[in-house]
Amino acid sequence: MSNNSYAIECIDIKKSFGSVEALKGVSMHAKPGEVTAIIGDNGAGKSTLIKCISGVYSSDQGSIKINSKEVNFTSPEESRSSGIETVYQTLSLIEDLSIWQNLFLNREITKGFGPFKLLNKSKMKEEATKMLKNLDVYIPSIKSRTRRLSGGQRQAVAICRAAGWGSSVVIMDEPTAALGVRETAKVEDLIKRMKSQGLAILLISHNFDQVLRLADQIWVMRQGDVMAGLRAKDTTGDELVALITGAKTGKG
Amino acid sequence: MKLTKSIKVAFVAVAASSLVIAGTTTGSAAPKKSLKSIRVAAVVKGLDNPFFIGIKEGIEETALKYGVYANVQAAPGLNDDIGQANKLDSLAGQNYDCYIVIPISSNNLSQAIGKITKKKKTVINIDSPVDAASLKASGGKITSFAGTDNFEAGKAGGAKMVAAIGAGKKIGLIAGLAGNVTSNARVDGFKAGAAGATFVGPVNADWDTTKALDAANAMIAANKDLAGFFAANDQMAQGVGKAIKAAKLNIPVYGVDGIADALNEVKAGSITATISQYPYVMGQMGVEACIIAAQGGKVPEQTITPYYIIDNSNITAALTNKSTRGFFPNQTPPGAYNNPYTKLIKK
Amino acid sequence: MRKSVAPAKPGATDLSFLDKVRNRIKDPFFWSDWLVVVAFIFVVAVFGIIAPEEFLTLWNLNNILVAASIPAIIAVGQTFTVLTAGIDLSVSSTMTFGAVTFGLVFTNSWPLWQCVITGVIAGTLVGLLNGLIIAKRKINDFIVTLGMLSVASGAALVLSDGKPRQVISEQLSTLAIGEKANVPYLMMVAFAIVLIAHFVLFHTRFGTHVFAVGGDPESARAMGISVVRIKVAVYVISGALAGLAATLAISRIGSAEPAANTSILLNSVAAVVLGGVSLFGGRGTIFGPFIATLLLQSLANGLTVIGVAAYYQYLSIGLVVILSAALVRTDK
Repeated sequence: MSNNSYAIECIDIKKSFGSVEALKGVSMHAKPGEVTAIIGDNGAGKSTLIKCISGVYSSDQGSIKINSKEVNFTSPEESRSSGIETVYQTLSLIEDLSIWQNLFLNREITKGFGPFKLLNKSKMKEEATKMLKNLDVYIPSIKSRTRRLSGGQRQAVAICRAAGWGSSVVIMDEPTAALGVRETAKVEDLIKRMKSQGLAILLISHNFDQVLRLADQIWVMRQGDVMAGLRAKDTTGDELVALITGAKTGKG
Repeated sequence: MKLTKSIKVAFVAVAASSLVIAGTTTGSAAPKKSLKSIRVAAVVKGLDNPFFIGIKEGIEETALKYGVYANVQAAPGLNDDIGQANKLDSLAGQNYDCYIVIPISSNNLSQAIGKITKKKKTVINIDSPVDAASLKASGGKITSFAGTDNFEAGKAGGAKMVAAIGAGKKIGLIAGLAGNVTSNARVDGFKAGAAGATFVGPVNADWDTTKALDAANAMIAANKDLAGFFAANDQMAQGVGKAIKAAKLNIPVYGVDGIADALNEVKAGSITATISQYPYVMGQMGVEACIIAAQGGKVPEQTITPYYIIDNSNITAALTNKSTRGFFPNQTPPGAYNNPYTKLIKK
Repeated sequence: MRKSVAPAKPGATDLSFLDKVRNRIKDPFFWSDWLVVVAFIFVVAVFGIIAPEEFLTLWNLNNILVAASIPAIIAVGQTFTVLTAGIDLSVSSTMTFGAVTFGLVFTNSWPLWQCVITGVIAGTLVGLLNGLIIAKRKINDFIVTLGMLSVASGAALVLSDGKPRQVISEQLSTLAIGEKANVPYLMMVAFAIVLIAHFVLFHTRFGTHVFAVGGDPESARAMGISVVRIKVAVYVISGALAGLAATLAISRIGSAEPAANTSILLNSVAAVVLGGVSLFGGRGTIFGPFIATLLLQSLANGLTVIGVAAYYQYLSIGLVVILSAALVRTDK
């Protein structure tokens, strides 16, 4: 399989916490313009893998390649600067800040120089509007505080932020777990639009229907190992369940 | 020995009157005013100390007696020097003829006094003296000062304690707010009067009962041969008394001020004696000085107010001696004392 | 899903002005910002009506501005710490410590501006200690700054040997008494600090990060903001401002006093709460606490002027604070 087409490739990642082996040698990959789902039961190692990719943890062994270049992340900042953005379940939005402030959190645009750097608020508002428009997300006013938004709108804002800043990989951890039916549909549309812009999307989800709807590639994890890597069109919900529970062992 | 005490008071009174300086200052250049139209403002230290309530009583009752208007304000707390300056500033902008001041620190009111002097109003200083250098720098002027000679009061206490416990003994000293002029004078006076004794401290307890209790406990623990205590005010003496009781010792403690609670404790025996001051009299003198000035008369520049040592030999007399409105005992000394102001007031 | 806007008529897409006003009034967060302004106008109006000749004179308003200068500066510092869901209980002792160091170098004949800087540096050091212990050791800010209250207070007493040092300086007198266009110099200094603080909070990256750390430190950290650095910074600011306030205090009372003035601390917390800054962090303004300081000083001044006994003054100020806290919803 050609490596040049992968946005991200993990090769034999091992991570232990004390005597607990969270990742026993995980290998996976994701292509740009595709949704790659990672599924598995609780404790399978999905979060740990994600955190190794986003720089929260450093893997003990193994390598990560971003666009075929080997990287070694020792902090979330390094992961971000390689173009990887993560949307955690908690969303990391500051409620009392406005939408545009959240979109630019810790990446504020300033004007001026030296110690007199002012926030360039008009530019940020302009860019924020573009970020939302890019993914067809409608928010009545980007100046309103984030606490006024519904759950689905917040999710959308968090995703737009990741999509706006991420240049290679966007990781999403259970993006619709707390949402109702209509809002879930909207977020899924959003993910499809992101996909069409060429980003590689890593999706963690417990919802197999969603996974089968959205994903192109599926990795099944169990107890720190990858059990199988499948193309979504080649599998069914029942097969996924069987792989997760171990009733069936995977093809590589 | 009641007779000895009366003679002592009379002596103090005579000595005090002989200290009154003949040269007087002129009051303000203001025209002669009728009693009814005279307005007096006063800023005392915090009202959380009964001593200053005594001053407030003296001011208010004297004002009532003469029919003048008095507004007594206090700093928000005993150590809020800036707050007190704010209060005086607020009053300085109002239409008062005369201001009675007791500064928390010797400097903190000097600027406000300067502003009052510029407006050609009278300032009377009682109890705690305003520092001369800062007063001069701000261009302020004090027309009259009436206060206790704290050094002499302390000295009398020192002499009495040595007479009671014997020579060459160890005495614990508890002082007030750090660096305070009044506290220093009392403690220094006590030491001068207690010839031959050795001292532990002085330790600052900020005029506070609980802090004094803690300080006394520490002193007792470190010095098994302590023979007595002197606290620079009654509130602290109360704390020391508790410490002595807790340690099951039988040593004397003297306080200063003569507040009602202390008198009760003298009667009960938990405080041995208090060198009583007469804040009521100070307040009274303050108002009278204001009236003289407002009437265009010559105000005596400086008056020493009386003190009187009260212990269980004369406690009953002290407790029954009440003011006009009868709120507190011990407002005026049992014996005669000199008040040079009263006779100068024109009716 | 929270609906913050209700349509006025079915089918209408725009709200009438009256409905917009009505919605604003119902919004508790609107009040957290504006209550203090309304209350201030109310207090001034009440005293102005009761005693116009005494209260509304230029002299008296000048007194209020002078009295508000020092608390305003302390309130600004306190705002920064409270915005990060912290608090600085050591402000009054820090100011005293700054004053004592000022007094020390002043009596050693240092030039005035060096004395001022010494006070500020002393305050900054205290703030730095506070910030480092709170942020790095993750100990509760209430406890740390409470401890620092005693430490700074004790240090002041040790350095000064318990004795106040008189500071007589013509420049300081001019600062304390002088004015231009009816605005006292002291208030000019305070207002300059207020403006700078507002600017920093609302127009710099640092300011945004302060709000972020206060609002949700986990999210802020996840976005790469150094929570430790922000927390240290706000305590440094609080300490430095207390050190600066020391100079103003010395100019007013003519000496460097070693005893801490606890009403400074209480007034700063009252001003911050009244001014609509949430004690939970992440919400607030600089002008809110500034107006609240003016309000508290106007209240104290007004009550003094109309001759209300000191006892009632404590009561009324306390009532104002409690009422405002009850009316303003700053809970999450």
